[in-house]
Amino acid sequence: MKVKSLKLREAHKSSNGVPSFCSILWDSGADHIVTSSSSDMSISIHDSLLLSAPPKILRHHRDGVAALALSPNCTCLASGSIDRSVKLYKFPSGEFETNITRFTLPIRTLAFSKTGSMLAAAGDDEGIKLINTIDGTIARVLKGHKGHVTSVAFDPNNEYLASVDSKGTVIYWELHSGDVLHNLKGVAPDIGSDMSLMNVLSWSPDGEILSVPGIKNDVVMYDRDTAEKLFSLRGDHVQSVCYLSWSPNGKYLATSGLDKQVLIWDIERKQDIDRQKFDEKICCMAWKPTGNALAVIDVMCKYGIWESIIPLSMKSPTEDVPSLQLKNSNGLLLFDEDEQEPSASFSLSDLAEDSHGESEPPSKKRLRKHSFSGDNSDDDINECSIPPGAKLCKNPSRVHKERLDLRLEEPKSGMVYTRSKMQEAFQPGATPMQPRTRCFLCYNLLGSITTIEHDGNSHIEIDFHDTSQGPRVQPMSDYFGFTMASLNEHGSVFANPRKGEKHLSTLMYRPFRSWANNSEWSMRFEEEEVKAVALGTDWVAAVTSFNFLRIFTHGGLQRYVLFLDGPVVTAAGFRDELAIVTHASPSLPSNDQMLEFRVINISNRTQPLRGRLPLSPGSYLTWFGFSEEGQLCSYDSKGVLSVYTDQFGGSWLPLFSASKVKKLEENYWVVGLNDDKLFCIICKSPDLYPKVTPKPVLTLLDLSIPLACSDLGADALENEFILRSVHLSKIQKRIDEMIAADLDTSALDDEAFNTDAALDRCILRLVASCCNADKLVRATELVKLLSLEKSVRGAIKLVTALKLPNLAERLNGILEERLLNETTKHSAIPISNSNSDAFIQPDPAIKTSVSAEAATNGTTTSTNSWTPMMATLTEAVTPTEVKNPLPSSAHLTSPLFRKKDKLKEGSVVGKEKMGQSRTGISEDAQQADDRKEDAVVQSMAKPQGPCSSNPFDNLSRDRDTRPTNPFAKSSSNQEKSSLLDSIKKMKTDAAGRN
Amino acid sequence: MAGQSDPKLSIFSAAEMEFLAEDEMVEIVPNMRMEPLNLISGDYGPFRPQIPASVPYWLAVALKKRGKCTIRPPEWMSVETLTRILEAERDSPREFQPLPFHYVEISKLLFDHARDDIPDIYMVRSLIEDIRDVRFHKVETGLETISARTHAVKLKNLSAMEVNIVRPFVVRTLQAFYKHDSPEMIQQPSVTSNRRLPATDRGPRRDLRQR
Repeated sequence: MKVKSLKLREAHKSSNGVPSFCSILWDSGADHIVTSSSSDMSISIHDSLLLSAPPKILRHHRDGVAALALSPNCTCLASGSIDRSVKLYKFPSGEFETNITRFTLPIRTLAFSKTGSMLAAAGDDEGIKLINTIDGTIARVLKGHKGHVTSVAFDPNNEYLASVDSKGTVIYWELHSGDVLHNLKGVAPDIGSDMSLMNVLSWSPDGEILSVPGIKNDVVMYDRDTAEKLFSLRGDHVQSVCYLSWSPNGKYLATSGLDKQVLIWDIERKQDIDRQKFDEKICCMAWKPTGNALAVIDVMCKYGIWESIIPLSMKSPTEDVPSLQLKNSNGLLLFDEDEQEPSASFSLSDLAEDSHGESEPPSKKRLRKHSFSGDNSDDDINECSIPPGAKLCKNPSRVHKERLDLRLEEPKSGMVYTRSKMQEAFQPGATPMQPRTRCFLCYNLLGSITTIEHDGNSHIEIDFHDTSQGPRVQPMSDYFGFTMASLNEHGSVFANPRKGEKHLSTLMYRPFRSWANNSEWSMRFEEEEVKAVALGTDWVAAVTSFNFLRIFTHGGLQRYVLFLDGPVVTAAGFRDELAIVTHASPSLPSNDQMLEFRVINISNRTQPLRGRLPLSPGSYLTWFGFSEEGQLCSYDSKGVLSVYTDQFGGSWLPLFSASKVKKLEENYWVVGLNDDKLFCIICKSPDLYPKVTPKPVLTLLDLSIPLACSDLGADALENEFILRSVHLSKIQKRIDEMIAADLDTSALDDEAFNTDAALDRCILRLVASCCNADKLVRATELVKLLSLEKSVRGAIKLVTALKLPNLAERLNGILEERLLNETTKHSAIPISNSNSDAFIQPDPAIKTSVSAEAATNGTTTSTNSWTPMMATLTEAVTPTEVKNPLPSSAHLTSPLFRKKDKLKEGSVVGKEKMGQSRTGISEDAQQADDRKEDAVVQSMAKPQGPCSSNPFDNLSRDRDTRPTNPFAKSSSNQEKSSLLDSIKKMKTDAAGRN
Repeated sequence: MAGQSDPKLSIFSAAEMEFLAEDEMVEIVPNMRMEPLNLISGDYGPFRPQIPASVPYWLAVALKKRGKCTIRPPEWMSVETLTRILEAERDSPREFQPLPFHYVEISKLLFDHARDDIPDIYMVRSLIEDIRDVRFHKVETGLETISARTHAVKLKNLSAMEVNIVRPFVVRTLQAFYKHDSPEMIQQPSVTSNRRLPATDRGPRRDLRQR
């Protein structure tokens, strides 16, 4: 059977390993999971889509919460506690409504009737209380159990109530009379007084079967009306069953035993189909109402979701859900809405305001039942308040049809409605708040802000990773309950959400160094609520629930207020720039968030960038910020890191994909990145975020583009290739900017050259692997991408060594073309400054000759193309004092041109395309090109000697304008020997051929 | 056995052993920013706050003393691993479990200088002491079996400190056995000085060589 184990996460603090009874529930749309523990006084409402997000915590009880129940329309949550009270809350907001009843002894179980109008509560007290949920009156107390009642269950048809006590007695009660129908003694195990385990019982969703754990480690099924034993499920449980749960369609039953395993049964075949072992006893389970999953919680308060339990080959647990169940969920209310009846008795309607989704009309049978069911149910009151059935009778077909439509629509629209959720606002680098544990409000490459809540007060600490550099900041007490924070080297900003009328949302800023005393400031917001904060060099930004972007200065001056066009998701600051992500529209039905980003330059008051933020399908944004170099980056829940680039008119490059690198059971929590590394904290699954202690350690990961699996088998090289070209383009852009600003670019030039060289090395290795994999076309394409002259020569050498003469020839052609390009460019540019037309004229002429050479395959032309090459090379070899090429006389520039011209006469293949494209290049780009080429030419020119010496006047001119070119010399020195080698080799090759 | 070997006879003192062990590499998490150190033994760094770097123990300890880093204890230095090793050591009386060559020295270094960086330090410490005792005991019992017929003793996975302690004894024992075993050596004491060298070399050296 299954060997993979299910990872559970902690829902509540367990009390020192003492097992406690925990409860878990889904709401009907499967949006939330509610958990509680009998050792913890809080109730947690988890978002089922974002399990890692902090749960909503309801803390109203003064002792452990032993029982939970959710009304069928999911608008009302009831909790019963050891503190002997039953409380009602609004759901999913979690707002406390009322203490609906009190007991004298702890409460153990709760159940809503299928209409939601009645709540049964029971526990160590003598009787089971049936409570009217509207006014809180006790409709009836059912007395008859000798032991503690551990579970009650309303029959889905609302006729009976079944209950079981700790002694194993099962009683069937008739609801409308309150009489005991059947009393089955000793059918369930006697659990004594161990309150971490409960006897349970459960009706099948169609109400025909009552299932009760048996005394022989089995589950016994009893008939609905006669209470006769129908059959039992016996199998691999070696100890008695302690919890059971029916799948929504009643085809499957999940049982958990004291033997710490959970079995899934196929009811029709009466066989177990799957099982799972756990570390602890599972004390509660709930099937996902809209999918193939089961939520489980163990006695140590750890919960988890067991996905896809039922194999695909079998019917899904949500297929063919008996309509009865739907009908029963608050049918009456819908009935009234249909009738457009403004009824005064509808105090219940707040309880069921969203109910139209799930509600269905009551069945005839139920109507009948209710009409004579006594006084104890408010259903009946409702029933009475409905105006005489005349209206219904008048137009029964219409009503019926409408309802039919509703029912048909309901599953789909309901799903869509509940599934697509807009992501809530978050701070990058924050971990979810958890009670009594320290968590990060902000974690970045600089330091961290942590907070811990203790007895209503929070305690905040600010730490810098670099203890020697960062200022030492005193820890502070936080009376506001800050949940958002941001940190940079100048200060920290905090904000808290609004909590009711009394606690206004507050924004507080603490500078780290200030010459004035008391330079900390705070702002309060009436009604408004801060959703995201960000910090920059001398500004503080806060985005609020009113979609206001408020920008303050360091000192607290309210500088600007902008109105954003969508609810904020997150914000990040870097120096002068503020980046904000907002929702562009509601998320798609496929659960894709529609996000938009914008970058605002605060000091210039400009908005340089704006656009849509890409996310992996079905994911949400988990981190957003700037790289160390100031590039905009985002990371989504599917583990794709994307970086903004100016290329392609401003797009996002996926630079990292966790699914490609990820080892199993690891999650990456991104902290930041730089040009070639990703800084993240590795969290062991199922944790999605790090804990504060032990202090997390950053891990460097290589960026890796999600490349397709290539037939080349050199993924690492291909990845490097793309990354380096991206990097190069970044540098180039910066150089352009610096030139535009008239700054000295020599340092960047240096970097550009190094990157160029590294890129070439990478390309050469790729060429080698292409040659090995026999992808010659790809190899030529790669060679064309080489930026340095000597790299092309290296490639030729490589290819010759690999015995690919055909390819070598082509590469020679490429080299030739490149040489020509450079020479023409350099000869042309001085002219082009004065007269741009003159520059174009010589160009196509030479182009044609080169392209002719490159295009021809015949050996004759290829030898033709070889000979001038050889000529230049031999010339290059002969002068030994190549080191001093400066004497650049005018007549020396000519030989190459003459040769080319001669050659040109022989071939007449016209291609003006290249020439045209060259004219299209903008002045700026040309200049940049020019500079780079200078470097190249300088490096290649020296050994090449007089034949291509025309760049030298250009070069000397260049020397005047720019101080030095530091890399040119060194590179030429390095290159000399290798180049000479290759030249010699070529010579011998050529000689052999001739 | 450990008591028997006179410290004067061992080739290295404990402090010297520790000095040798300090060249082993360990991961540290610096809390400062520093350029790479280019030393004769190699380049270490660059150091960036909260990002692990691999350095030799001597550097790690030096940085730790200045409060500039935390040392990440090596993987084997966890309660689970050590418990497993201890059990395995106890279970197999004739074999030694693979442990780092300098485990005794490294653990001493870390206990002295980086107490706060080792989780469950008391447990780890007692486990390592237990392991060391078990292994020394094994060495002792193993040496008891040396008889006149023994020409070599094979001890796999022995650590530096253990080797250091038993080396003089074992070498001399084997020499003595060899000497007493070969009658010609006794009869012709004059020749022994010529012969002893190659003979002793062949014996224990291969298995007890120092790494």
